Amino acid sequence: MLTRLSPYLRQRLAFLVAGNVVLLVAIALLLKQGASFSDVLERCGPDVAPTVLAGLGMTGVIFTGAIDISIASIIVVAGTVFGILVQRGGSPAACYAACVLVTWLLSMVNGWLVRGLRVPAIIITLAGLTFYRGLALVIADMAIPSFTGNISVPDEAFHGPGKVYGGWILVAVLAGALAWEAFARVPRRWLALGSSEEACRLAGLNPGRILQSAFCASGLFLGLAGLIFVTRVQAIEPARMALGFELQVIGAVVLGGTNIFGGEGCFAGTVLGALFLYFTAQVLVYAGVNPYFQEAVTGALIIGVIGLDCALHRRRKLLEELA
Amino acid sequence: MRRWVLPLLLLAEVALFTAIGGVSFHGPGDVARYFASYFGDLLAQSAPVLLLGFGMTLVLITAGIDLSVGSMVALVAAVMATRPSGPGFWWTAVPLGLVLAVLLGLTNGGLIAWLDIPPIIATLGTMIFYRGLCFVVLGDAEKSPFIDVPGYEWFGQFSGVAIVVGLVLVGGGACFVRSRWRRELLMLGGNRVAARYAAIPVNRRLCEVYGLVGLLAFAAALCFTARNSSVSASSLTGLELKVIVAVVLGGTRVQGGAGSIVGTFFGVLVVAALDEGLRGAATWGDRHLPFKISHLQYLLLGALLVAGVWLNTRAGADKK
Repeated sequence: MLTRLSPYLRQRLAFLVAGNVVLLVAIALLLKQGASFSDVLERCGPDVAPTVLAGLGMTGVIFTGAIDISIASIIVVAGTVFGILVQRGGSPAACYAACVLVTWLLSMVNGWLVRGLRVPAIIITLAGLTFYRGLALVIADMAIPSFTGNISVPDEAFHGPGKVYGGWILVAVLAGALAWEAFARVPRRWLALGSSEEACRLAGLNPGRILQSAFCASGLFLGLAGLIFVTRVQAIEPARMALGFELQVIGAVVLGGTNIFGGEGCFAGTVLGALFLYFTAQVLVYAGVNPYFQEAVTGALIIGVIGLDCALHRRRKLLEELA
Repeated sequence: MRRWVLPLLLLAEVALFTAIGGVSFHGPGDVARYFASYFGDLLAQSAPVLLLGFGMTLVLITAGIDLSVGSMVALVAAVMATRPSGPGFWWTAVPLGLVLAVLLGLTNGGLIAWLDIPPIIATLGTMIFYRGLCFVVLGDAEKSPFIDVPGYEWFGQFSGVAIVVGLVLVGGGACFVRSRWRRELLMLGGNRVAARYAAIPVNRRLCEVYGLVGLLAFAAALCFTARNSSVSASSLTGLELKVIVAVVLGGTRVQGGAGSIVGTFFGVLVVAALDEGLRGAATWGDRHLPFKISHLQYLLLGALLVAGVWLNTRAGADKK
């Protein structure tokens, strides 16, 4: 698999592996008496699972040259539906299934809109970002009498995927996704579409269908991410839940070496990128940095990394542009 | 066709919400007075969106976008709010805000022009970053030094807003419409490679445009703080979306290369009337609708954005 990666991507993966090791060492050094390092690693799995899973789907979408910035709001709709079903007395399995299904459906809708309206994906999903959050609020208003802003899910039976199995779901899906990327044809078609839509068409592929398959796969990954995200919290707040989650995910994807314009990248990079962002936040926590600074530091880090990435790509892009 | 669609939409909207709001009139003088105060209030209320809308139009013309405007205005207002109140506010806080706003705008421009980050990604990042800085500056506090500054509330009243907006719209617009600068921006948005071949300093123009948005964000912060008189770290979230929807409704293409400031003016009024109307219709909504009518705003903004972009794209395709 590694032989297929470009030198640029291999460099990026090496950088991320080294960076993650350095951050882990920093955490180990910063640990206070009484806290154990294995706890940190154990918590890491469920904590990072939503970002990684959503990131895998986003990687596929960005491969094709599109993007989806409405993922946080989609998770909110799924969470709201989940909360309502729980309050109506649904069984855990049914609630989980509904959560994944809603996410998948809304992702597919995004795909249809991008294909059908011929409008840049970023604009469609920017509209989705606000539309879906409003949809979640309206659904909650209608389904729950005297809705006050949050739907509480106190029953521990409904927190399985998030609190108990999160890490295992992550490992299983990750193994499957990496193997799939290495051997299947579909991810390579996404990359082909991102490289050149025209070449894709000339090669007898259907660009619209390839784009749709990327949104479809993204919906499935996002469904699992949303399931873990939703079942980790005690109360679902449609107005505030998952704010800024999309940027975190896009940050992880771009950090992982996937070209934001499509056509280049790998799943493994996204995983390492998400871990890098997570460990950085943890280092800030263990170093006792004021929590108010965290948002600013995370924002600066993402801008810095993406900026560096674009500056490195710049020379090549300029040559292409002027050729 | 678009020329009369937006004013008509605005009138229909106002009529609908007036009917729902249940205002009773006695004679034509009453009607005139009501609408005079209504539109005056609308203008004063929508000043930040209006000012930023002009900047956003220019940004969209260059095929860019600026998502950080809401955070930018909030950060400028937050930094100004940390200065002590009183007459001294005018020569400490206000110049500080001005310099900061332009610097924030130029940061966006620099990231986009010199580092070549796609505008939407760069400004999505600075949106989070500037908002984070707001929390660093203010924490959980809500500050309001603006009340005790002599003459400050003028910026929140109709006359002040009308003069600031008029200055930007008429003064700026008159210089802009026939300028070489405007044609360079249009060309830059239409075809960047061609612009570079035509010896247009692409990077400098981009920095100038985003810097100008920063300057307008400062004016917006003045109008906002004068009207609301207090600021907290989470104020003005979601402002950028209103601005973008308004600009797109006004006929500016997101793909760049075309845009109209007058269209933006009406687009902003349509969005602002929607905002005001939904707030005014709260009691009606509680009685007749199964959900809170204010939540409808998110849905309508999203739908309007898609509809506007779709119409603009189709109009552009027809021209070709």
